[in-house]
Amino acid sequence: MAVKLDSELATMASNPSATAEFLEFRNVGQVFQTRRGPFEALRTINLSVAQGEFLCVIGHSGCGKSTLLNMVSGFLQPSSGQVSLAGEPIGAPGPDRMVVFQNYSLLPWKTVWQNVAMAVQAARPELSEGDRQQVVEHHLEMVGLTEARHKKPAQISGGMRQRVAIARALAVKPKVLVLDEPFGALDAITKEELQEELLTIWQEQKPTVLMITHDIDEALFLADRVVMMTNGPAATIGEIMTVPFERPRRYETIQNDPRYGQLRNQALDFLYRRHAHADS
Amino acid sequence: MGKLMTVDDVSQSFPLKDGGHYIAIKDIDLEIHEGEFISLIGHSGCGKSTLLNLLAGLSQASSGGIVMDGRQVTDPGPERMVVFQNYSLLPWQTVRQNVAMAVNNVMHDLPAPARQERVDCTLAMVGLEAAKDKFPKELSGGMKQRVAIARALALQPRLLLLDEPFGALDALTRGNLQQQLMQICQNAGVTTVMVTHDVDEALLLSDRVVMMTNGPEAGIGQILQVPLPRPRQRLEVMEHPDYYGLRGELIGFLQQQRRLKQRRTSLATAPAPGAVNASRPFHRSATVVRLGVVPGLDVAPLAMAIDLKLFDDAVLQVVPVPFAHWQRLEEQLLNGSLHGAITAATAPLALTLGLSGQRPWSAVTPMTVSRNGNALCLGLPMLAQGVRTLGDLARWLNSQDQPLRIGVPQRRAIAEVLLRHWLASGGIDPERQVRFEALSPMAMHGALRTRQVDGFCAGRYRVAEIVQDGQGYVLATDLDIWSGHPEKSLTCSEAWAAAHPEILEALCSGLMRAAERCDDGGQREALTQVLSQPQWLGTRAAIALQRQFEFGAGTEPKALLRFNQFHADRACVPNPAEGAWLLSQFSRWGWCPFPSNRLEVLGQVYRPDLCAAALQRAGLASLRPTREAFALADGLVFDQDDPLGYLKSLPGSVQPPVAPVALPVAGAAAPHSPAHR
Repeated sequence: MAVKLDSELATMASNPSATAEFLEFRNVGQVFQTRRGPFEALRTINLSVAQGEFLCVIGHSGCGKSTLLNMVSGFLQPSSGQVSLAGEPIGAPGPDRMVVFQNYSLLPWKTVWQNVAMAVQAARPELSEGDRQQVVEHHLEMVGLTEARHKKPAQISGGMRQRVAIARALAVKPKVLVLDEPFGALDAITKEELQEELLTIWQEQKPTVLMITHDIDEALFLADRVVMMTNGPAATIGEIMTVPFERPRRYETIQNDPRYGQLRNQALDFLYRRHAHADS
Repeated sequence: MGKLMTVDDVSQSFPLKDGGHYIAIKDIDLEIHEGEFISLIGHSGCGKSTLLNLLAGLSQASSGGIVMDGRQVTDPGPERMVVFQNYSLLPWQTVRQNVAMAVNNVMHDLPAPARQERVDCTLAMVGLEAAKDKFPKELSGGMKQRVAIARALALQPRLLLLDEPFGALDALTRGNLQQQLMQICQNAGVTTVMVTHDVDEALLLSDRVVMMTNGPEAGIGQILQVPLPRPRQRLEVMEHPDYYGLRGELIGFLQQQRRLKQRRTSLATAPAPGAVNASRPFHRSATVVRLGVVPGLDVAPLAMAIDLKLFDDAVLQVVPVPFAHWQRLEEQLLNGSLHGAITAATAPLALTLGLSGQRPWSAVTPMTVSRNGNALCLGLPMLAQGVRTLGDLARWLNSQDQPLRIGVPQRRAIAEVLLRHWLASGGIDPERQVRFEALSPMAMHGALRTRQVDGFCAGRYRVAEIVQDGQGYVLATDLDIWSGHPEKSLTCSEAWAAAHPEILEALCSGLMRAAERCDDGGQREALTQVLSQPQWLGTRAAIALQRQFEFGAGTEPKALLRFNQFHADRACVPNPAEGAWLLSQFSRWGWCPFPSNRLEVLGQVYRPDLCAAALQRAGLASLRPTREAFALADGLVFDQDDPLGYLKSLPGSVQPPVAPVALPVAGAAAPHSPAHR
């Protein structure tokens, strides 16, 4: 199995088109028709995400983060401009772009194992029964859920459910992993554990990650770059911050890095001074 | 600032269904000053809210007590008002009625117009005049919380208690309310204690942040002073140059507690390494525990415990394994041939950090075996040079090219650490002017006679022998350096301790019962007899236990009280504050960086919880370490919450590198099960 994974990665890495502009937004805008007339959610989004990059998107509610995400997953087509993946315009939702939501969305009547296995079967029907079992096993092990594999979602904690959701998404071998505030509902300890696990897995498989969050510390710990959105309507990218900390990262080490406070204050300044929300 | 409230040695336990008890918080000491804003921070289950309820008088401590204005807090009262996260407003009453009801109930002696004025004035203070006739359901979460705060403040409490007041609010509303709360508390001049898990909130509002360790048996892990100037503004305060340093302290503490919790959980569920019982599953007889020792007076509790059969022989049989060299003992401990050992008090930390270049080995110490008991002995030629005090020694050394050669039982161990500190306090540079040499305790005498060393540091009977021989004299005892310092510790691997709690507890409690007898002057005869047995000190026991301490050099012998201390004054309690001092010294001399995660290191290595359980099993008072700052003989106060400040105050203002220390995986260096029969 390990050999197979490696060879898959090797194919991806040797693909010449998969370089700097892997996931690309070109002049993307989104206008929704509402009863009170057209509502411009997003305006002129230009963004290039490199393959294997970890990108966090941060902004106040109503900044169009979810609209952006829905375009990547294929749930929504832009009103203008184009979103493309590896040179191809993004069409319908597909297993090459997997989304993990805050509310886990597991099937409650299926076990942990079955939840993951079903997704693998749907997305990678070419796998033999044995290979599929190995893929499921490997990914459950990666998130430390081997022992809980026969439990149902209701029998495990919120943190474990989110681990299942992440394992399920990764087992499908997506090119892009889209995370929509995946840790927002978790307590501080579980959240930090999952952030660490996510980084380890990302380092191992290197999918391109697009993560929506409102937690600046989370973004600084995880991301290569942080995209900060202005407020809607007609929200757009206000600023992009490069996070320079070396990997592998350790929470305490980067907290004590003098650049940490600077970056955090820069983000706070953006969110709470320059682009303060109407409520504040 | 005057003292408003004292929390004195408070513990709180709750009965469990199975008949046992859950001890939520244990031995909390805290003073709250008039006008102060204190935050209690920690992970869920750390007992923050338990403590807050005790302060409010909503529940009573299982032991210890709380005193406010000279009177014990026994029930809730209007001078201590609590605001909860869920507001708890009466939904059928307006904002004004909610506040007025509290005022009318409590301040019924006040004339009606004065009461009305109180209500209006308080509503104005929290900015709710315009909303005073609205019902709670018409208000936003932030406004509801302001009503709850107004209701509490209208009664003019001495102490305002807030239990995660903004926990249910979104980030934006939270920020605005924090700012308002700060203004309100400042205007009302009310002393406030707030429970929170938000580090930025704690830093913005507090004068002091009290960080609590994980439960059960949660306690105060560290107290952080927040010296940021007031008035504070939420965003500006983050631009203060000290802000991220302080924030790092809080985050670091919470991270360390998180990892300790993970570690304890994983050890508790892991299969037992070196399982003593696993190799003989069909026997129910006592387990053999091989305990390494280097014979000296410090073995007294072990010798007494074996001789008087104080170990619970249904649980364990202790086999002492003697060594001549500390290094050899540690090798055997690390390779798993020993289950535990009586080591230098520095060993648990030194082994865990890999201080002498060995692979880091996760050690724990459940008890301190002895305190004090060493002296610095110099050869007679030094007396001829007129060296009778530390000052004399410094003057003489300044005139010399050669360093002073001092024999110590082990490099980088407690004796050397104390000596270095003491010499430096007298203006001597121990790095340049002193050369420390590791010598087996048995070789000290000979090395001094043949002038291989100028002096040595050793226990009582080695020193007594030299003095009686007329070869040397005592320049200082450790009572002159740090009276009551930890000298020997019981040390075992973290994995073994986790796998065999019952055996370890029985081992410690036997040693503790013996230690009590060792400190009892009436048992001196018995102790001498036991130690005179050949496997311990033999004929030397009589010298070692002489009542008078001979200094040589023509001075009068003196009786030194507590020169060897085993039981009195919490002697057996392993105190992480003492460990923090040791860490400060390790880094001072460049042996390792100062661990930025010191509380994690200390929390793993020092186990006062195991000590307390063993004391209880032994039928002795179940003591915990004190959090008080202490000073060595040089008078510089060591505050465990500010070890780097202490290092700066030392001669030469030491500022070692600070770095996180990776803790070794439990039991990783014990590849095979210890030998036992």
